Amino acid sequence: MTYEKILLTRDNGLATITLNAPDRLNAVSRKMIAEIKLCWEELAADDSVRAVLLTGAGRGFCAGADLADPDREASATADSGAALDKFFNPVIRAMRSIPKPVVSAVNGVAAGVGMSFALASDIAIAGKSASFLQAFARIGLLPDGGSTWFLPRLVGDQRARALAMLAPQISAEQAKQWGLIWDVVEDAALMQTATDIARKLAEGPTLALARIKDALNRSTGNDLSAQLDVERDAQRLLGKSDDFKEGVAAFLAKRKAEFKGK
Amino acid sequence: MEETPVLAAVQSGVLTLTLNRPQRLNAMSQPLIAALREQIARAAGDSAIRAVLLTGTGRGFCAGADLAGSGTGAVDADGKPDLGAVMESAYNPLIRSIRELPKPVIAAVNGVAAGGGANLALAADIVLAARSARFDQAFVRISLLPDLGGTWFLPHIVGDARARALAMLGTSVPAEEALRMGMVWQVFDDADLMPEAAKLAQKMAAGPTLSYAAIKQAMNRAGTNSLDQQLDLERDSQRALGKSADFKEGVEAFLAKRAANFTGH
Repeated sequence: MTYEKILLTRDNGLATITLNAPDRLNAVSRKMIAEIKLCWEELAADDSVRAVLLTGAGRGFCAGADLADPDREASATADSGAALDKFFNPVIRAMRSIPKPVVSAVNGVAAGVGMSFALASDIAIAGKSASFLQAFARIGLLPDGGSTWFLPRLVGDQRARALAMLAPQISAEQAKQWGLIWDVVEDAALMQTATDIARKLAEGPTLALARIKDALNRSTGNDLSAQLDVERDAQRLLGKSDDFKEGVAAFLAKRKAEFKGK
Repeated sequence: MEETPVLAAVQSGVLTLTLNRPQRLNAMSQPLIAALREQIARAAGDSAIRAVLLTGTGRGFCAGADLAGSGTGAVDADGKPDLGAVMESAYNPLIRSIRELPKPVIAAVNGVAAGGGANLALAADIVLAARSARFDQAFVRISLLPDLGGTWFLPHIVGDARARALAMLGTSVPAEEALRMGMVWQVFDDADLMPEAAKLAQKMAAGPTLSYAAIKQAMNRAGTNSLDQQLDLERDSQRALGKSADFKEGVEAFLAKRAANFTGH
């Protein structure tokens, strides 16, 4: 599959998606979101891919939905719900349900649904000059792309309401301090750092990483007792995997494990 | 005799509610609760009101239920109070009405917020505090559990570990610490609190009211929804907001690089 608005590369189990409309700070046009959706479907079906890295070309990570998109319907007749139903929500669901770790390298501004993409990833790393903005209320909308769900879980109910209603632009450092993202590094080191982490995950115990993702996805709706059962079932399954056998053998032999993702 | 337990004033779309029992650090009496409920209902019904600012007169924000007065409600036949009855008839409806009000509620915590007073503040959408303010989950000191939503607000705001400690130890949290924990959005020097709070309330009263209402509703449901359900909720809300006059204005203003003039419609 070839794409126009995004770049997709594969390198030994690591797939990298680069949003590629740098002159628009990678604002998401109809065309781009349709491609992003297809791309996640492609990666979910590809067993050779064991981790995904998401980033943006140029100065921005993603400026959110492209309000100047010529394909966008006039606002008087637009159905904002339809675009979410057809494209954006399936993308967020795909990012959360794909049984492989997703790393975001936030190389610049992450605004609106662009911020939601960062929050939907499993591990988000930002360059020092990156910034985060729930821009939606500025144009009379509410946060979408799952942000009304991610925010209260990441920063608590109080800060979530303020971020959504007041729509302040926050720095990468602030985002890290509040737990919105995992880490902040110097801009020049961002791609190397993020690629190293994603590469390490791509060479990791893929089944365990998938079960971790699934268990954490479920933890927010479960009570502790139900979650203990989720852990039991997942551990039972992982205990029968080749990678568990290899992990234990390597640990006992004091050598590095060679995981195959099986 | 009870004076006016809550002062209410409307200006520029902001309903300012001031708890007014300063001699009792604004502890909640039955008339105070009734007055607050009446005013929240008024805010819900009056489209000219687009934001609510809640604060207290004097040194305190609110010292919680008035244990020396009517705050604990009626006494049962066994000579012991039925605290459940007063929660059901007065306190819980108040908290529910604040959370369900389709307009932003800002708390300006001007001094101690203890017991139910702390959780009254946490029920607001945006909490601002004076540097000298304190948040005090005092309940355990009188052998109760946090109420007015405290056992829900705390873990959803500061995380499970801190919530258990705050509730069990009854630790009094200074404003700066509350800021670090995420219980408070901003802390101001005492003298700056009310001007800053009024400024923010006026800004929000001139904001996209329907958007704020949708955000409130979405955040209220986020606690129990799965991500999947929440994505559907966002879709439905965004569909409704996409047809609002304020969205049209917001997009036009964004593209023209000017400030938006929101009307709340």
